[in-house]
Amino acid sequence: MYTTVIGNYPKIGPKTRASSLRKAITKYQLNEITESELRQCENEVTSEIIREQEDIGLDILTDGHIRWDDPQTFFASRIHGFQINGLIRYFDTNTYYRQPVAIDKLEWINPISVNDYQFAECCSDLPIKVVITGPFTLAKLCQSRYYKNVDSMAKDLAIILNKEAIALAEAGVPIIQFDEPAILRHKDQIPLFSSLMSVLLEGVTTRKALCTYFGGLSGIEDEIFDLPFDIFNLDLVTNGFDLDSLKKFPVDKSIGLGIIDARNVKLESVDEIQSNIYKTCQWVDPEKIQVSPNCGLEFLPRSNARSKLRRMVQAVTSVKEMIS
Amino acid sequence: MKQGLQTTAVGSYPKPDYITKARAKFARNRISKTELKGLEERATKHWIDAQLDLGIDLLVDGEMYRGDMVTYFSEELEGFAVSGLVRSYGNRYYRKPIAVGPVGRKADITVDWWKYAQSLSSKPVKGMLTGPYTIADWSFNEYYPTREAFVMDAARAIHEEVVALEKAGCEYIQIDEPAISVRPEEMDLVLKAFNVVTKGINAFTITHICYGNFDSVGDGILRLPVNMLDMESVNSDFDVLEMFRRFPSDKHLSLGVVDSHNHRIESEEEIIKSIRKALEVLTPEKLFLDPDCGMKTRLESETLHKLKNIVGAVNALRSELGL
Repeated sequence: MYTTVIGNYPKIGPKTRASSLRKAITKYQLNEITESELRQCENEVTSEIIREQEDIGLDILTDGHIRWDDPQTFFASRIHGFQINGLIRYFDTNTYYRQPVAIDKLEWINPISVNDYQFAECCSDLPIKVVITGPFTLAKLCQSRYYKNVDSMAKDLAIILNKEAIALAEAGVPIIQFDEPAILRHKDQIPLFSSLMSVLLEGVTTRKALCTYFGGLSGIEDEIFDLPFDIFNLDLVTNGFDLDSLKKFPVDKSIGLGIIDARNVKLESVDEIQSNIYKTCQWVDPEKIQVSPNCGLEFLPRSNARSKLRRMVQAVTSVKEMIS
Repeated sequence: MKQGLQTTAVGSYPKPDYITKARAKFARNRISKTELKGLEERATKHWIDAQLDLGIDLLVDGEMYRGDMVTYFSEELEGFAVSGLVRSYGNRYYRKPIAVGPVGRKADITVDWWKYAQSLSSKPVKGMLTGPYTIADWSFNEYYPTREAFVMDAARAIHEEVVALEKAGCEYIQIDEPAISVRPEEMDLVLKAFNVVTKGINAFTITHICYGNFDSVGDGILRLPVNMLDMESVNSDFDVLEMFRRFPSDKHLSLGVVDSHNHRIESEEEIIKSIRKALEVLTPEKLFLDPDCGMKTRLESETLHKLKNIVGAVNALRSELGL
């Protein structure tokens, strides 16, 4: 049994060097510091966050996505053919992103996250997973002027992100996590989704995770669990702990058990966490369980994110002792 | 207010530098509440004067004394604590409220500010509140067992404030609910809460909604018990007009005709075109024009220019239509 996070980590926090990131970005926008000074600050914050995850006792880390404004523009601004437009709400959260619009045929230019991975990998001996916003979700959250609809844009995005995934696998990334929250709002489009996933995963030789959040898989479990991923990260908070989905979980796959609420500061009790893990153990081999928050932690202040992760690690540690 | 095609604004205006600095100083206890308030009054007067100069018909106070629209109310209501910083977008952070006990109203919240702003203006000034669903949805919750219990307590608290504003003489009361368009499955809860908020109110009530998918809530928004919907529209290709076309309604519409989050200044011709589109669906008497959203993230010069073009466009159409 392992512990992990889903993706982003609060960028700033009390009494950390990280608070200087906010100032650095402002200064950069005012042309008071250079781009390399800003990158330096991002590196410092990234290594601090990696150390923080290690100290808490997590087994599989991310780099915290310190360099990401949001899961859309981070990719769109590095893919040829996008222009970044006005602010729009991100799902049902009180956070916003600038909406990318495809104005030309989309093309992969250079690796997007390989450098970031190489930096993060130097900061820790633990495995660092890399997150890619999946083609279905990216298309749904962008607009298209070039393509006749977002679905045809999604097909090109699948080809582009496949190139990115291959580049990451070649760089030695141990797990690539593809985030596809949008499929939960368009369950009727599962056939298109499945064909996109085939394109996306073609020739990607590392471990691959499919991550969904802001809802449950109810109704599409069979189709989702049939897809050629090694790990399925599920949100078991938003619509509750869905035992029916777990009963359908394939025996040869790993499960990401998103049971810590990353959108509310209320701290889960150790009992609550453990009882959900025990329930899962009835259906899934403990070795194949990765316990995590239900989505990225950036919806929380840093101190709350930290407390929640500590609580999670504490619960998992004692479950492991009980089992062994 | 009989003339067709009235102009208004959504809520916030950009804060002058001296307010931003004063708020930061106040947060560090370096100036007193009274000093801060004096500056906020000065800035409020500045924006009231600016709107009167521009010829806006229905004014707002500009919210010089508010930060985030939910945090402001949570600080004035009972039952809330405040969190550490969370990111809203880009490099912008705010402190999110946390429900830690029963939410209730202990005293007037916005009444004195409304009275002050109205005293400076010959034209009506809107009372401006944040709605219960948005207050609950945009807060953390450590206390309530269900979202519904949280929303309904907030609804009762905001209703009391609506009553107090009306009693003070406020004729136009806007209750903003930007959160309601994102969770269609909770539309019934939104309606239940809003029925509490505006119950027995005779003032002209308005709600502002923005940055969501209006399609997904169908005619739910049109069933809200308010006189006017104030909708972000430029930024969503005027979806809202389609909604009014599909579901005929006797509600007024305040239509966003300039983008609140873009530096580009829309021309009068462009705005005239947008208004003409709206006039295919609504009569001039039912149609108000304003920016898409609060203007607090724009520069003052951009704000004034955008508002000036709205007024210019409206004046041109008024004379064309003989209004």
